[in-house]
Amino acid sequence: MHIVVCMKQVPRDNSVKINADLTINADGIEQIMNLFDEYAVEEALQWNEKLGGKVTVLSIGPEDWKEQIRRALAMGATDSLLLSDPAFTKLDTLGAARVAAAAIKKLGDVDLVLCGRNSTDDETGAFAPALARLLGWVQLTYVGKIATLESGKIVAERHLEEVVETVEASLPAVVTVVKGINEPRYPSLLRIRKVAKVEIPTWSAADLGLSAADLTPALNLVNRVPPPPRPKGEIIEGASAAEKVARLVDKLIEAQVI
Amino acid sequence: MDFTANYDMFLTEEHQMLRRTVRDFAEKEVAPHIREWDRSGAVMDGPETRPHIWQVLKRMGELGLLGICLPTRLGGAGMDYLALAVVCEELERVDSFLRVVMSVHTALNSLTLFQWGTEEQQQKYLIPQAKGEKIAAYCLTEPNCGTDAGAMLATARRDGDYYILNGEKTWISLADIADNFLVFAKTDPSKGNRGISCFIVERTMPGFSSHPIHGKLGVRAGNTGSVILEDVRVPVANRVGEEGEGFKIAMTALDNGRYTVAAGATGLIQASLEASIRYAKERYTFGVPLAEHQLVKRMISHMVRKLDTSRLLVYRAGWMKNQGRRNTRETTLAKWHATVSSFEAADDAIQIHGAYGYSDEYPVERYLRNARGAIIYEGTRELQELLQADFALGLRENRPLRRELPAYNPDEWA
Repeated sequence: MHIVVCMKQVPRDNSVKINADLTINADGIEQIMNLFDEYAVEEALQWNEKLGGKVTVLSIGPEDWKEQIRRALAMGATDSLLLSDPAFTKLDTLGAARVAAAAIKKLGDVDLVLCGRNSTDDETGAFAPALARLLGWVQLTYVGKIATLESGKIVAERHLEEVVETVEASLPAVVTVVKGINEPRYPSLLRIRKVAKVEIPTWSAADLGLSAADLTPALNLVNRVPPPPRPKGEIIEGASAAEKVARLVDKLIEAQVI
Repeated sequence: MDFTANYDMFLTEEHQMLRRTVRDFAEKEVAPHIREWDRSGAVMDGPETRPHIWQVLKRMGELGLLGICLPTRLGGAGMDYLALAVVCEELERVDSFLRVVMSVHTALNSLTLFQWGTEEQQQKYLIPQAKGEKIAAYCLTEPNCGTDAGAMLATARRDGDYYILNGEKTWISLADIADNFLVFAKTDPSKGNRGISCFIVERTMPGFSSHPIHGKLGVRAGNTGSVILEDVRVPVANRVGEEGEGFKIAMTALDNGRYTVAAGATGLIQASLEASIRYAKERYTFGVPLAEHQLVKRMISHMVRKLDTSRLLVYRAGWMKNQGRRNTRETTLAKWHATVSSFEAADDAIQIHGAYGYSDEYPVERYLRNARGAIIYEGTRELQELLQADFALGLRENRPLRRELPAYNPDEWA
């Protein structure tokens, strides 16, 4: 079984600055593996231990964004692939999905693609569905448990807000996983040494046969501003606790909270 | 900002990945419980029963931290001595009791077996220790002697193929936890330092017992205790080095132990600094964040100075270890500077936190209590001061040893 994990490198926290040209400035903020992608990597590794085959961790980013790929390799991924090209710097979600889809098609023998349910920076949650659509594969989103994975077939639980759905589909498929599907392992120290010098294959737009038109954003960023600061709280005065509670309840009713 | 950046002259990408891994472990598996574990040490009585100590050691072993800088053929992770420093920094950034494990298990005991042990001793004791299957400790201090090791009273009397060990050792980290102990005792009580020999003692040997020390100021989450040896029969094969070579062995062990203490203290400075930065930005006084008051800025800037100077001194010593160079002067300087600085940094961190810093609602008072011990153990501040002066005045030099700590060899260790 060949499992591909789409992994994104993101800033550790959201205290990023916005540049004059509206791009994100994450200088000085540590880059980490997107939280949900870590679960995807772990899930791939666990199934790989049972079924054998390959786990390829795939990422889109600049040439020097290899640290998180190495982390996934040190966790146990067998293969890696960086998709890097100056033309990829302004991709929107659809563009990123086109790039990943081209790479997965080029790999050829992929049975399953695992992704985190969304990235913690852009938070569109649209990458994996777009990828599935472009590949023409079935998509299983918000998966909290993969019960069965075998040649040509997957049975998984979709953990939705109100219900848990068990769904069955044929492979190949694109699956997004939620937090808690597993407990991601730490990289192994022995593997850290081994992967530190591993050559990470890198494919460019030309390698993937992508044209400028494929990479033109469908979504144009018009403006990007920080959210307004939270309004100040109000302290409710009153002679007694009962009086304060009564006033609070009145206010909550007035605000249609209760 | 990332205070660990721009050390590329010493550290590689491997070290960065290692740092991230150790930080994740300490933040996920220890930090959420540390206040409770630290409090448990303040009220404990009787024998050591706190399960977290065994659990954490098991996890550190599984992760490969306990044999971090030992060759893979000896069960280690095959990383270098700088990796040991990175591990210690990140562990003590969360709590000193984690780093103490690296000091006694890895540095004082395991690296001593690596430097001085026979092939048989390495096979029997070092490999299980490097893998974390057995836990190790180091017994030098006695109730009546610390720095003045030559005054020790513990004895080892030869009896055929055995030595009979008697004595009491105290302030032993992991006394109630460890399986294997390096014990220093006099084979010739008529002599001072030259009468000392070194032995591997197992907890299961008849006549061995231990009990915890209660009421410590710091490192309360960890175990410290006393070891009693009553007619313990130790095979001659368990003597490390020659008869009378024990003092030299103890001192080379301290060259490694002090290195881990210095690295850990660096992590503690970083913890104090990070807590102070966080608090100084969120707490307002006189209408502005604390961070805008000049005297608060001064405390922050001094912490930064202490952090960077300590780290540079530690990495220099680690680089020398990797090269196989003797580093007694450089390691003791790092240990002296980093430990004294860590106490001062924790003290300033409390000052920045004001009254909140005085309670365990914030971690900084724990940092202060934890930092204090390291100014005493593994060589007091005063001893380090004398050593530096003696080196500078030409009154002391590193004499060649019969066995040196092996230099790091990436190919052989892999």
